[in-house]
Amino acid sequence: MNVETFKYDNRIVRAFAIATVVWGIVGMLVGILAAVELFFPGANLNLQFITFGRIRPLHTNAVIFAFVGNGMFMGIYYSLQRLCKARMFSDWLSWFNFWGWQTIIVAAAVTLPLGLTTSKEYAELEWPIKIAITIVWVAFAVNLFGTIVKRREKHMYVAIWFYIATVVTVAVLHITNSMTMPAGWFKSYSMYAGVQDALVQWWYGHNAVAFFLTTPYLGLMYYFLPKAANRPVFSYRLSIIHFWALVFLYIWAGPHHLLYSALPDWAQSLGMVFSLMLIAPSWGGMLNGLLTLRGAWDKVRQDPVLKFMVVAITAYGMATLEGPLLSIKTVNSLSHYTDWTIAHVHVGAMGWNGFLTFSMLYYLFPRLYKTQLWSTKMANYHFWIGLLGMMFYCIPIYVAGVTEGLMWKQFNKDGFLQYPNFLETILQVVPMFRLRAIGGTLYLAGAFMMAYNLYRTAKAGQFEPDTEAQAAPLEKTVAPHGKPSWHRLLEGKPLFFTVLATVSILVGGLVEIVPMFLVQANVPTIASVHPYTPLEVLGRDIYIREGCLGCHSQMIRPFRSETERYGEYSKAGEFVYDHPFLWGSERKGPDLAREGGKYPDAWHFTHMDDPRSTSPGSIMPRYSWLLTQKIEVDTLPSHLIALRRIGVPYPAGYENGPAQKDLQAQAEKIVANLKQGSITADPDKEIVALIAYLQRLGMDIKSAPVATAAK
Amino acid sequence: MIYNIVHSILREAENINGYGLFSFILFFGFFIGVLVWAFLLKKNYLSHMGDLPLDGGEKNSTDKIQSDKL
Repeated sequence: MNVETFKYDNRIVRAFAIATVVWGIVGMLVGILAAVELFFPGANLNLQFITFGRIRPLHTNAVIFAFVGNGMFMGIYYSLQRLCKARMFSDWLSWFNFWGWQTIIVAAAVTLPLGLTTSKEYAELEWPIKIAITIVWVAFAVNLFGTIVKRREKHMYVAIWFYIATVVTVAVLHITNSMTMPAGWFKSYSMYAGVQDALVQWWYGHNAVAFFLTTPYLGLMYYFLPKAANRPVFSYRLSIIHFWALVFLYIWAGPHHLLYSALPDWAQSLGMVFSLMLIAPSWGGMLNGLLTLRGAWDKVRQDPVLKFMVVAITAYGMATLEGPLLSIKTVNSLSHYTDWTIAHVHVGAMGWNGFLTFSMLYYLFPRLYKTQLWSTKMANYHFWIGLLGMMFYCIPIYVAGVTEGLMWKQFNKDGFLQYPNFLETILQVVPMFRLRAIGGTLYLAGAFMMAYNLYRTAKAGQFEPDTEAQAAPLEKTVAPHGKPSWHRLLEGKPLFFTVLATVSILVGGLVEIVPMFLVQANVPTIASVHPYTPLEVLGRDIYIREGCLGCHSQMIRPFRSETERYGEYSKAGEFVYDHPFLWGSERKGPDLAREGGKYPDAWHFTHMDDPRSTSPGSIMPRYSWLLTQKIEVDTLPSHLIALRRIGVPYPAGYENGPAQKDLQAQAEKIVANLKQGSITADPDKEIVALIAYLQRLGMDIKSAPVATAAK
Repeated sequence: MIYNIVHSILREAENINGYGLFSFILFFGFFIGVLVWAFLLKKNYLSHMGDLPLDGGEKNSTDKIQSDKL
């Protein structure tokens, strides 16, 4: 038989491996800073660029897209070549993928601290960067499919299925959720408003977890676990069922992030039911992974690679059991907005993604450098310190989450809230925040140990840029008329398979999202809801820039414990002009949906300057720069035009004069109010715009009954 | 206990009407199809597929590399 000799590209794998280690450490460091700021609000040194609201998205983006993203590319570039028995389709595309991705990460690291954000979780990057992501992702897709097409192995191993599902779905999600109207080079407004925006965002957000953090890593598990254990996967049949059931179900589960919100009930219930069904394929996959090690547990005791993998797969099982349970509406009513969710995602991020990435790195470095791991002992220490760090992180945060949930809901025997002051509930869990920071530091210490160990391994060995391999070429399919056929390329398995996978993920998305946009009854309009005034628009921009929604929700759920604390529950019709929606997903401070009119302007001014002067013990950082920085009035016309284009009914020409006059008048009114509170402020300062926005929140609904009474 | 959990889930899901039924039938049909397909696959195909990661085609396989012992 004719055997071809070819070379696997190891350089690209090494590049992504180094990037994984570097960005992993950076992402974890930012996480620790964010954790410290939650019990020591002065930790930002009064610098606006590193307040919690701005670095929280930096941490999530760094961990998801920089650490796990690079880890994913590293694993795929290594395994795909070997599973296809072919070098990557194009070295140029490989390096374009690498440098493009690193450039995007650097752009994120610069823009997010500057406050350039869309505010949509895990999709915060502004539109030019989103376009760059699309281009780089397409390059990756072409390279991946090109390699699959030129493969020498007839069959596609299940890991490749997971890679294909990842490539297709991430593209669909990213493009759908990134529909924004630019209002400048680094400012845009989501095309969708309110409830629709929330549904699209969490359809994206949930599936970013599913198809960026889970499916590619499952593919990597199906490759690296058999490699490390030197035995085939427990049941290939089960892996097939695992794959199809997972890709079909995952996409439906997004609305479980919006339970008891203003999202229509049918969508919430659908999200809940599908989330529960997800337990089955997830656990099928986990058991398939763990059972692969049957009869090889002695190896687990010896080999740090397998140790990390076992914990990673166990964490996957824990997180995928907990996720569906958190999707049950009654459980979610307690857990949502609390730190419980944060603990849940960290079991996934630190355990599943983190530990699987570490195991791949420990597996790859000795092989890339043709040597042994410099110190197995150190890798074992890393394992234990990482595990300990994870425990110290997650257990206190679970305690904090349940405590918060219970305290928010607690009534005394007279029927009043037991803890009417929100701050009291947060101060109760501050000790847990401290423990969490210790846990994170231990986990990071482990990552540093790994970095040193891998560095020494690399130094001790000799890097092999290309690995020589041999395989027989695929037999060409010959058409009946005797000519070589392109049939296999065009209609062969990769294409057919990709179409099938795409249909599977699209069905769930379409069933949920299309009715939401078509059925008018899903968003009942409220006559008293009006667009934001120009000053409020700019104030809202500041609210988005500072990442206020990282700690403050704007969605009061229909529970007595919430309506007693915050006021009437939120209605879908209140958000029809909210581009983007700002419901938030966690509460480190109180909900702000009915903040308007609650306190005088002077209170807000003092509170923003120094939160502890009005709320002793508050963990909110100071926002003193808002008192000195000027409102960017020049941007007003472009912002109003952009909003008009996506449906906010500002009259034509409003931005050419009338809007500025309205802005000035409202600012001066606020300045006059502040004067009554013995505060002197200029009408052109950012604090004035922010106060205007905060005082508007919920006022449309609050003013409605008054108007009715006047009739 | 389990009855209560199931009962509570079904009660909470009552407002999904046709969507619930449609989605369930769709998924159930799909799942059964995949199940049948998976069980019809031949044993030698499955074992060939399972072995794929173990043979990377490398001329001088480095997979035998073992870490230093503790």
